[in-house]
Amino acid sequence: MRLTVNGVTHEIESGPLTPLLDVLREELGVTGTKAGCHQGGCGACTVLVDGEPKRSCLLPAAYAEDAEITTAEGIGTREGLAPIQQAFIHHYAAQCGFCTSGMMLAAQAYIDRGGSDDPEAIQEALGGHVCRCTGYSKIIDAVAAVARGDSFDLTTTAVGKYTTMATGGEA
Amino acid sequence: MATVSTAPDAATEVLRPTSEQEAIEVFGDGKDVLVVGGGTIVLPELTYHQLRPTRAVLLKDAGLAWIQRDSSRVTIGAMTPIEELVDFPAPIGPCARNIADVEIRSQATVAGNLCAGEGDEAPRGDLQGAFLAVGATVRSAGEGGIAEEPLEAFLPNRGTRLVLSISYDEPAVGAFAGLDRPHTHDYTALAVSGARDANGTIRLAATGAGSHGQRLLSAEGGDADAALQDVNPHDDALASAWYRRKVLPVLVRRVLTDLEGPA
Amino acid sequence: MKVVGARIPRYDGVAHVTGRTTYVDDVRVPGTLWAKALRSPHHHAGITRLDTSRAESMPGVHAVITWKDVPLLALGHLAALGIPADEPLLARDEVRYKGEPIALVAAESEQLAAAAVDAIEIGFDERPALFDLRQAFDPDAPQIHPWGNWYPFFGTVESSLDAGADAHGVVERPPQHIRMDRRQIRKGDIDWAFANADTIVQGVYRPAAIEHAPLETQVCQVVPEPDGRLTIYSCTQALYFSLGVVAAHLKVPLNRLKLVGGTTGGGFGGKVDTATETMGSLLALKSGRPVKWRWTREEEFLCSSTRAPWHMEIATAVTKDGWILGQKMLTLHDSGAYARFSPYGLTKHSFHHTGAYSIPNLQFDGYVVFTNRVPTTAMRGFGVTSVSFAVETHMSRIADLLGLDPIEIRLKNANRIGDTSPNGVAYMDPSTVSTLQTIAEAIGQELPAEYRTMTNEPRAGDLLPEHLVAQIGSTEGH
Repeated sequence: MRLTVNGVTHEIESGPLTPLLDVLREELGVTGTKAGCHQGGCGACTVLVDGEPKRSCLLPAAYAEDAEITTAEGIGTREGLAPIQQAFIHHYAAQCGFCTSGMMLAAQAYIDRGGSDDPEAIQEALGGHVCRCTGYSKIIDAVAAVARGDSFDLTTTAVGKYTTMATGGEA
Repeated sequence: MATVSTAPDAATEVLRPTSEQEAIEVFGDGKDVLVVGGGTIVLPELTYHQLRPTRAVLLKDAGLAWIQRDSSRVTIGAMTPIEELVDFPAPIGPCARNIADVEIRSQATVAGNLCAGEGDEAPRGDLQGAFLAVGATVRSAGEGGIAEEPLEAFLPNRGTRLVLSISYDEPAVGAFAGLDRPHTHDYTALAVSGARDANGTIRLAATGAGSHGQRLLSAEGGDADAALQDVNPHDDALASAWYRRKVLPVLVRRVLTDLEGPA
Repeated sequence: MKVVGARIPRYDGVAHVTGRTTYVDDVRVPGTLWAKALRSPHHHAGITRLDTSRAESMPGVHAVITWKDVPLLALGHLAALGIPADEPLLARDEVRYKGEPIALVAAESEQLAAAAVDAIEIGFDERPALFDLRQAFDPDAPQIHPWGNWYPFFGTVESSLDAGADAHGVVERPPQHIRMDRRQIRKGDIDWAFANADTIVQGVYRPAAIEHAPLETQVCQVVPEPDGRLTIYSCTQALYFSLGVVAAHLKVPLNRLKLVGGTTGGGFGGKVDTATETMGSLLALKSGRPVKWRWTREEEFLCSSTRAPWHMEIATAVTKDGWILGQKMLTLHDSGAYARFSPYGLTKHSFHHTGAYSIPNLQFDGYVVFTNRVPTTAMRGFGVTSVSFAVETHMSRIADLLGLDPIEIRLKNANRIGDTSPNGVAYMDPSTVSTLQTIAEAIGQELPAEYRTMTNEPRAGDLLPEHLVAQIGSTEGH
């Protein structure tokens, strides 16, 4: 069986029923995708399969066979970060970082579908992702900023006066 | 590199039919074969060693994902992702939209959801109630050959047959009311679906009030409280049986009210 | 100052968004074995039989450990603070919570390790279990520890040996002379307060347990080095603390261990228990191979320590114009099956039990109570979060009953410079007053001038009634 991950095709030894998550992490050593629960409940394992966000802990490897699989390592480089990656840095949307890969890829797919900066729509798109650190509001700010087409100064952050969806205050 | 595989035993024979006919053949009488639709229910069971199948059928390429409409008759292929139903009219649309999140819905399948086994921690088979309410029939393969039967008759045997498609007539009016937890993952603790056909006949059904979706025959005449006679709710991680009994008539009343509205 | 007040991006931001931050489970060491635990299926039981021979002889199994493999079986993590050991690393004679680890296996794959755990033969004699901490004091309650159902070591304890520990570090019977079974605070004259109040306001507050639920479950990777040392990749929040714990259990000098920390995938206080590192180390030593132990999400929910449930009863003596003359408080802290850090948490709780307010006359009694639940541990604000919740809810209740404004009554009683805490420490610069004024502004409540102009300067004039004089302390030589 062959899998294409971030543009590179690999010959896979794991069986066709192996969760894609385990093929990525254990066989290929591509560890940016995280194992939070192995039951689809947390979203840490989300990858893009032909641009669609899927829980890799629930996906038999065979189901990704002819697809382009994209992980967090594949959407941008240190020198050329994708807008969503820049937004997560600038808006302080990651703390421990464990949910970040999955959260960010779901956000990327939302943006690629033409998602708007409406917080409700963003919440709906990211609804399968749990974050225990940030309280979500900065993640939503980051995604909204990308949807609006903001550019990001990575030498500073937007963190300042506390922004919540309730107050709609300024960053 | 350590091969840390949480996959099942290497001895599992994996079959990947590329047509409906092939799928029917490899399924056979359904004994000793694990059906993998979207994988959202089965993969964790494999990961946690709750399932150790000798044979597994992966249905992705069997050509079972399609939706056909023939005037008001809708037929949905077994492997259709649940996400494709979210804009359907009530009850099916809102019921589908209420399931998990967009990622799970785009991978989980209609038949996989209908065939979900009884859950310990939470009700499963969210769509059962909605399809019962619209009077759906199920076309399935298995022992005795191909069968087409009402969903009510199919559900008790859902573990032994291979669903091929589900069909129903679009109702004149539909309604859905669910008890949700404000939660990242919308586990529906209890939901009532309803449909009124062109003749004014009402069908009601509930999910989360028994071991699988149930018709609420006693309440179809308009008496919401009578629905309690048709159900046997359990305690689980989401809600107690007591609480479900309290809320069920409320949801039934909401659905009945919505069904009185214009078509 | 270049950093304070500046908006600096996280140093690990780029790593997080490019999937390159290395968590323990991302560390790759060739030849690593998988660990799995045999855990108690019972809430409370004696262990009658434990036979690991079948598991040990399974192909692909490289080590099985039980209590016999642990050089120091019971270690008081906070023995330096006078809390002696009461918890064996692996259960020996009995289990006191469902999920308590009894044995561990290291094998070539996760599946093999799980199969080997199933092959361990174990016998139990089940005992009645206690879940409601209020019932812990009933004479017929199930007894959880040899010394009963609440922690008896609040007196001065120098070490676990002092507390009567055996060679395995296990304390069976604490010497009578060091028994002190509660944390107690007495300040001022509580009887005067209750006699002179216009009303007594009572309330019971019972916040439930909270599971930390970090996205990263408990995990460690241990590597035996050629020179006999161990490298331990740990998700601990407290690297040096965990280093000490592992070294003490293994009875090795600190320099035999190299703990590698890094980014923890969420801890919130739940990754200070050193929950995996010692057992991982024992497996690595016994097998001679690198070992990884990663908890499943189910283990994380069911077996990892939680924030404690608390039961707090407050009775406050108040005047009709909103002065709080005195407070009686009884706190029961549910420690679960073992003490861990609970006595420390309760002590902090006792020092802060008046919250942000100056209450001069106090009677506080706090107990660390044992139940057959998962042992509880630190979680953000350990010990104090509970009392903040209780005190603030209670203050609102007082305001409601007296017909007073909830912000004004708080401002009046708020801590000011020179007011003293329950244990007599004078506040240097409490921010209660300014915080309350900011809240009023944020919610659009216009305070009367008298309240709007309050500061945290030492009490004087109308803000220093007779009953608050005696509690004023000195902020010098802090």
